[in-house]
Amino acid sequence: MEFEFDEDQQLLQRLVRETVTKSRSLPEDQLWNTYQELGWLEAPPVELAIVLEELGYVADPTPFLASSTWFAPLAGRLPRGSGTGVFDGAGRFVLDADRADEIALLTGDGVVVVDGADLDPQRVDIFDATLHVAHVQAPDLVRDVPDLALMGLAITTVGSCRRILDLVVGHVRQRVQFGRPIGSFQAVKHKAADMYVAIERARALAYFSALTIAEDDPRRTRAASMAKAAAGECQRLCFQDGYQLFGAMGYTWENELQIHLKRAKAGDLLLGTAAEHRKALLR
Amino acid sequence: MRLTSESDAEVEEFRAEFSAFIDANVPGAAEAVPASQSTADVPPWAADWQRKLFDAGWLLPGNPPEFGGRNATLPQQLAHLEELSRRRINHSFNPQGLGIIAASILTFGTEEQKHRWAVPILRAEMTAALGMSEPEAGSDLASLRTRAVLDGEHFTVNGQKVWTSGAHDADVLLTFVRTDPDAPKHKGISVLLIPTDTEGVVRKPFGCLTDPDDLDFNEVFFTDVKVPRENLVGPLNGGWGVAHGSLGHERTLLWLHYAERLEDLIQDAPCAEEWYATLQMDFQALKLLGYRQLGEDRNEAELSVLKLFGSEAVRSAALCALEARGADGLVHPELTGPLNHMGMPSFTASWFERYARSFGGTIAGGTSEIQRNIIAERILGLPR
Ligand SMILES: Cc1cc2nc3c(=O)[nH]c(=O)nc-3n(C[C@H](O)[C@H](O)[C@H](O)COP(=O)(O)OP(=O)(O)OC[C@H]3O[C@@H](n4cnc5c(N)ncnc54)[C@H](O)[C@@H]3O)c2cc1C
Repeated sequence: MEFEFDEDQQLLQRLVRETVTKSRSLPEDQLWNTYQELGWLEAPPVELAIVLEELGYVADPTPFLASSTWFAPLAGRLPRGSGTGVFDGAGRFVLDADRADEIALLTGDGVVVVDGADLDPQRVDIFDATLHVAHVQAPDLVRDVPDLALMGLAITTVGSCRRILDLVVGHVRQRVQFGRPIGSFQAVKHKAADMYVAIERARALAYFSALTIAEDDPRRTRAASMAKAAAGECQRLCFQDGYQLFGAMGYTWENELQIHLKRAKAGDLLLGTAAEHRKALLR
Repeated sequence: MRLTSESDAEVEEFRAEFSAFIDANVPGAAEAVPASQSTADVPPWAADWQRKLFDAGWLLPGNPPEFGGRNATLPQQLAHLEELSRRRINHSFNPQGLGIIAASILTFGTEEQKHRWAVPILRAEMTAALGMSEPEAGSDLASLRTRAVLDGEHFTVNGQKVWTSGAHDADVLLTFVRTDPDAPKHKGISVLLIPTDTEGVVRKPFGCLTDPDDLDFNEVFFTDVKVPRENLVGPLNGGWGVAHGSLGHERTLLWLHYAERLEDLIQDAPCAEEWYATLQMDFQALKLLGYRQLGEDRNEAELSVLKLFGSEAVRSAALCALEARGADGLVHPELTGPLNHMGMPSFTASWFERYARSFGGTIAGGTSEIQRNIIAERILGLPR
């Protein structure tokens, strides 16, 4: 097994990082066009994970995740425009359903692709105002979550957690109390170190999931549940300690931290929490 | 990134060859008496086994043949350890002798020292213990006070070590001593090989928490002990470098030891509770991070991630395994895994003992707290 990025993958990671940093302030549709032009939607699983991790890091506002990891694995192709998939059997809390050009439905008769508007999706108010989630009503829905959707949400959540830790590290190095940077206090250091370890663990399992999907390895379904569970566990720690270490600053709307805390938390709550996936692993 | 790699076929061939060697040579249960009593007690049958491995180049395959290996690649060394762990077989019943003391001598010693000390340790003709910690120097190893004064061709050593695993059964101690009390604390330390039969060396073994008769820990006292100058390993006052490098390759593969314990628990403690899923995830993630660490140009401090993550994962899984037994978890002694004459009995001991011993991982070799300090300061760049 080779568990390091090869040269092309390293290059891709660098390109994605540069692109998302440069285009951070662009409007959504321009971002979406950029991603399409760069061919990111068509990336195979490991490369897709590399893209998603960085999009998670910047709390990407586009329907990239839903199009590439919810629509594509169901429909077997990319959407014309943006898309999403319904595979939870109930049509509830579907990522980006309210703005998807196409929606792939997993039904008893197989996959049916419909125009988004046909389903009259109802957007739900959620704590993350930048994340689109909607309920749809459709008959005969079946539950079978694609491995790629779990992996995609997992690595995106890992990206959010990495961002949280980077913000925390930046903050505790510069914030001074009792005459020293708070980052020199050991209680603070140890929280940061534990966040780092949790991120490394979740990140490794997410890429392993991508790898098993890429090679259609028999372990792929278990690997996807492991990835989703580990991302959820990681998010739990990073949310709690990341928020705590910012003090009251973390309690404010103004602070950038809140955006990533919410993304990370939503990433756990969608498609089964860590606890649900741990249970799935025991079946 | 791929599930398979080009060297796989070569590694599998290597694994098959080693596997056949084990089948043909591993001692049977009837042969394996008496059992080893400490980490430096190598009974004759266990010494024969270790010597066979050495002579065939299977003891430490990464070494050159003269030191018990066959110049194997890192993936091959990994396969070698995986094969041993899968079968729960020790290659040596003096693990610190093999992994730390001989390894330090091979890295820092002179040619003469390699043949005089390292080879006999590797061939199980001599056993060794590690004298680093002192009553006043645990995590803060650099504050050690055991004093060695060089006078002509001899050092004279006075002081005390503690926790010295297996010292009462060891022939030689790799001893960290202070040779320059005026230098900054990291710069006045040297390393001496001190035979335990030297006059003035007194060893007092004491029990560990699970059994007063299980003697591995020792206090070691040195009173005017004369040590020939040629027993100095590495440069005079350069002992801190030896302390850091002393684990050599072993340090790169230390995580595998925790992966083995996790795998044992996966097999021995099947359970339908959620912690059992966590255990499997930890095992998988540790292996992935371990493989990645074998790549080039990794930050040394990332070994701290593996040590912290691996040892803490074993400890929490062992606790869950104990709790899952409820009142049955009280039983001690007990056999909780397949009876195994080739492994450490503690790895299949009572659930309480397995949990209690898992703290060896989180305390020895740099505590979890120290590893967190390293991660925070050297990876995340937080101020000291
Ligand atoms: C099973 C076992 C086998 C051993 N075998 C050997 C051996 O063969 N040879 C040998 O030389 N030694 C051996 N040791 C000793 C081992 O190396 C020491 O126990 C270890 O270095 C910790 O030192 P200490 O026990 O004195 O704990 P201390 O250093 O006193 O630490 C006690 C507590 O304080 C915490 N602490 C200390 N400093 C800091 C800090 N800066 N920041 C945050 N927390 C801190 C620690 O993390 C720990 O929780 C062994 C230990 C065990 C458990």
